[in-house]
Amino acid sequence: MNKISPRQLYFFLACVMPVGKLLVLPTLLARYAKCDLLFPVLVSYLIQAGVVFSVLLASSKRESLYDLLKNTFGRVASIVILIILSIFFFYAALLPLLEQRLFVQSVFYDTLPSLAAFAPFFLFSVYLCAKPLSSQGRVWDILGPLFLTGLAGILVLSAASMDVGALLPVGGGGIGGLLKGFSVATGWFFDGAILLMLLGRIDYQKGTAWKGTLFYLAGGIAVLAFLAVFYAVFQDMAATQYFAIAKTSKYFSGITVLGRIDYVFIYLLSLVMAFWCTVPLQAGIDCYLQPFGRERHLATVLSVAVNALFLVLLYLLNNRFGEVMRFITGPAFWIFPAFCILLPPFSLLLRRNHGRA
Amino acid sequence: MKNITGNLKKDTDALKKLLPAEDILTFSFVSQDGLAFTVVYADPICDKELLGEQLIRPLLHYSGEKSADMIAKSITSPEIRLQNSMEKLAEEVLAGNPVLLWEGMDEAVVCGTKKMFVRAIAEPSTDVAVKGPREGFIEDVKINTSLVRRRLKTGELKIENVEVGRRSKTVVAVCYLEGTTVKRTVEDVKKKLGEIDIDIVPDSSYLTHFLSSRPYSLVKQVGTTEKPDIFCAKIAEGRVGLIVDGSPIALTLPYLLIEDFQSSEDYFVPPYRATFTRILRFLSLVVAIYLPAFYVSAQLFKLQLFPVKLLLTIAGSIRDIPFSPSLEMLLVLFVLEVLNEASIRMPKYVGMALSVVGALVLGETAVSAGFVSTPAIIIVAFSGIGLYAVPNLIEQTSVVRLVMLLIAGSVGTYGIILATAFMLLYLVTTENYGAPLLSPFSPMIGRDLRDSVVKYNLGSLKLRPKTLGSPNKRRLK
Amino acid sequence: MDARRFIKTIPMKLYLILLAVILFAFFSNDFGLVDVQKTAVILAAGIDKTENGYVLSSQIAVPKGSDRTTGGTSSLEIETEGKTVSDCITMLYTKTGWVPKLVFCNLLLLGEETAKDDVFDGLNYFLRNEYMSDSCYLAVCEGRAGDVLSSQSAIDDASSLAITKLFSDAAKKSGKVMPNTLKDFSVSYFGVSKSGYLPFVRMSDQEGSQDAGGNESSGGSGGQDKPQKIYTANETAIFREGKMAGMLSADETLAFALLKGEVFSGTFNAADGEKPVTLTVLENDGGVSLETEGTPKVKLSLSLTVRLCCRGISAPIDDIATDEVGEKVLHSAEETVKGYVEQLWNACKQADCDLFELRRDLYRTSPKKFSELKDLVPAAAEPVIEAKVQTKS
Repeated sequence: MNKISPRQLYFFLACVMPVGKLLVLPTLLARYAKCDLLFPVLVSYLIQAGVVFSVLLASSKRESLYDLLKNTFGRVASIVILIILSIFFFYAALLPLLEQRLFVQSVFYDTLPSLAAFAPFFLFSVYLCAKPLSSQGRVWDILGPLFLTGLAGILVLSAASMDVGALLPVGGGGIGGLLKGFSVATGWFFDGAILLMLLGRIDYQKGTAWKGTLFYLAGGIAVLAFLAVFYAVFQDMAATQYFAIAKTSKYFSGITVLGRIDYVFIYLLSLVMAFWCTVPLQAGIDCYLQPFGRERHLATVLSVAVNALFLVLLYLLNNRFGEVMRFITGPAFWIFPAFCILLPPFSLLLRRNHGRA
Repeated sequence: MKNITGNLKKDTDALKKLLPAEDILTFSFVSQDGLAFTVVYADPICDKELLGEQLIRPLLHYSGEKSADMIAKSITSPEIRLQNSMEKLAEEVLAGNPVLLWEGMDEAVVCGTKKMFVRAIAEPSTDVAVKGPREGFIEDVKINTSLVRRRLKTGELKIENVEVGRRSKTVVAVCYLEGTTVKRTVEDVKKKLGEIDIDIVPDSSYLTHFLSSRPYSLVKQVGTTEKPDIFCAKIAEGRVGLIVDGSPIALTLPYLLIEDFQSSEDYFVPPYRATFTRILRFLSLVVAIYLPAFYVSAQLFKLQLFPVKLLLTIAGSIRDIPFSPSLEMLLVLFVLEVLNEASIRMPKYVGMALSVVGALVLGETAVSAGFVSTPAIIIVAFSGIGLYAVPNLIEQTSVVRLVMLLIAGSVGTYGIILATAFMLLYLVTTENYGAPLLSPFSPMIGRDLRDSVVKYNLGSLKLRPKTLGSPNKRRLK
Repeated sequence: MDARRFIKTIPMKLYLILLAVILFAFFSNDFGLVDVQKTAVILAAGIDKTENGYVLSSQIAVPKGSDRTTGGTSSLEIETEGKTVSDCITMLYTKTGWVPKLVFCNLLLLGEETAKDDVFDGLNYFLRNEYMSDSCYLAVCEGRAGDVLSSQSAIDDASSLAITKLFSDAAKKSGKVMPNTLKDFSVSYFGVSKSGYLPFVRMSDQEGSQDAGGNESSGGSGGQDKPQKIYTANETAIFREGKMAGMLSADETLAFALLKGEVFSGTFNAADGEKPVTLTVLENDGGVSLETEGTPKVKLSLSLTVRLCCRGISAPIDDIATDEVGEKVLHSAEETVKGYVEQLWNACKQADCDLFELRRDLYRTSPKKFSELKDLVPAAAEPVIEAKVQTKS
């Protein structure tokens, strides 16, 4: 159960990873890149596809990141690198968690609920984070079809209110808009880095690397399709439509009679999101567990501590999503490319255990 | 361990000492050539007619050697065993088999003439099929194994008896097809049965606790059936079956959750019909678990889940209700559970009256009196019916429904989503005897999906389920 | 050993604590929730601008109780004042104790005075509100929106329900009304065209309504002595930069609908000699395009397939059976439709309203020309009107 089969990995790449990019990112891209919102995401996906390919190729060494680092740099250096990496994962987890909390407030409640309404998420997260990231493999088997059903449902219900011409003219957002859009999008593209923590746990078979990359790009196509639908529905108002995934389908004519049936699909995607939001936290915790051993109590204590920290952080940063986002995509813009674009391909250069080689 | 001595008086006394109960009787007689015999038997459970016909009558005319072999040959019963351990002889007597002792014996003779108290084979009330066989297991392990043997006329069918229970000495028949069932599974089951140290085993359900990998879990981990046709089908897929003496419910291992969504009838009707009913069962269960929860959370946290006209109807209905929506739903659910519990236990003639009380008095009057609203009753009724679409999971799903309701009433819809995520995570990580509970969905096994929610034509089900890892893969050529 | 036992029992203790928390939250029902009983379900809102700010008239649905013999929807109207619409909503809470919920609001009605200024001054609140559905209908009304909402409808329990019936899909297909939603109106406002349209609702007395007993099932939306009203919305208000800049008559509204190609089974009148005839539109194809070579030209083209619906006079049985439309009538129909389209274009030109969003199309297809021509459309554009009316053979 601790090995991830290629099929489960493909579901993760194609169906779980895209789900975090459907809430606030479309809105921000619509604000900065306007009708060119597809391009920053397209570029980010193409870059990340290269990163994903390199990490998956590195997974053919069948050793964990810690083992590879240890073989190359020694124990102390590898622990230091993993601690730095874990800090990055916690940093990367902040934005998805903040947007998730706002999404929950908006979509699951009619009036602004108590801040405690999001707290149960951390109970779930504690339980999940105490397990290794690879234990999610079997869940991805279920989440894959759920994501596909949810997204397909939303796209179908949104189809009638689309004006595809809204995506014209190409270049309407200007170069500045495109660059700003790209810099904003980086905060949501840490996919390659996450895969580093799956090294040694993937049941690598011939072709897994390129197939995995194709599935990752397929997930990208799903995101692009949604972005196109989103902008085609809201056009110049898109920049005001936060939590995009819950908005586009509400104009379906049957809703007047049946109520918000589109919520069935939105809730399916929310279920996938609940798992996705824990992934960076789990990856961060895994950075400590790899060198120090997966003792059950250590995993539990770390999981409780990290989640408690994030619970407090979320309350401290209540209503500060904009500031956090501006910081991440502004002065601290370089952090994501450094950890998610430059660093992961180096995994190819890490040495295997000589005994095995 | 004490053995027999050959001295009739001494041995009879020793056996009587081990079995001091008043219903353990002895009968002494002398053969034609003067050899003295004593039969020790348990009066209520020994068939005395057979005892006289098959054991005593032939020995009255016996004139030959005193050896156990020769005496056994002159007895006309088809079931004869030789035994010289006193403890074992006492166990045989308690099992209903008379023990024959004589002067100068080297071993005693045990004669299989126990009295059979069995009811007729009937259709089980919990697993009714409109099409297909109607036989059901009864409480006797021998008859039950014979029902299995009749359907699987192959030497590969192994039936191994294991005794469980320090006092009850309940016979558990471990049934499997050699070469089809994974050896490891058989060994694991037998090992777990051997490790059970319990006083008595009144029913097969006692064993499920010991055979589960997560014994304290709410999730069902051992398959159950009352029908020999289903039992045999499961064995033929590569499972191990357990028939417990005294229980009409047989157990099968490993258990997959999908099993309870499959009815035996699905295999006797066209596949599209079977697919339709399976989807219906699945949706019914989803509705049964989630409907009360969503109804409550929609009222409390997310009115938008209702169309406006329905919302106004509901708002009108609950306007004068003194309880909060969550408490009202809990109350109605509680009444449903009480009615359900009472109607099962009550004598049938009172049961009818109870339905009237439940339907009219509690339902109609409670609405008129303004205790509960009509929509709440409709929701709970719908949920209650939905639960019975998958009868084997009622114990589990009714608890899950309650948990969902509590979460919906306290945290709302997001709580339901998180609880579902929790449940999903728990289910995918549960496995028993190497088979994941949620297989073939997780891990996804394309081949096995052909007989899951969707039911393919029999011609497409050529191979046995991959999940069970049977070494004999092909079942249809 | 004790410590190990303690650690072993931690999960069970945690489960118990969790259960206690859930039970507490369940029975206290105090998670900041607002259930249906504490909620004012706002069906419609009217916005009237005053000297001091705004008056918001909210039509609130009132549940009728569990009595199964009464159907329909009761409602009551509450007016609140404030400097902004948000103030008015807060005032509603203060006045009634109900928490206003706008998720079910299906109609936003703007008073005539409100429409004279930028309507988004008032609509701003609704666009920002996460808990407001922007798929609600938006309309302008004659006089005060509050008066219209608080009037007693002759055809439905609540005035808002009667008005939204006017905006049904069937009505839209007739070409007699051009409904719009908050979202679509906002999209045109924030787009490069900065123009839009809204149906204009007028209210008139139902003849003899004082004598009638009124709708039995109607609830609190007015007393029994109120005159019953009927509503029409066959005119269309056109907007430029959020301000009402003109009005399309019923004929112009029909032309607008025909040009959008949205009419099926709508009717219009033509002439057979000197006698009027009514034609039903069976098929409608319309389009508006901009030619940018030289002086910008706007091509407004229509193609209709019609059937004779009514002559208004007695006719022989063969004529009734065939429904044939003669050449003379077709020609008259073409002229009539052209006339409507021309009136429509002139109204738009006068109001500088880019009703057909030509600027938007130009921007999408040719951003360079857009910057050259954006101020010339529609003001300096020449219309080229083409109308073809044919009958179903």
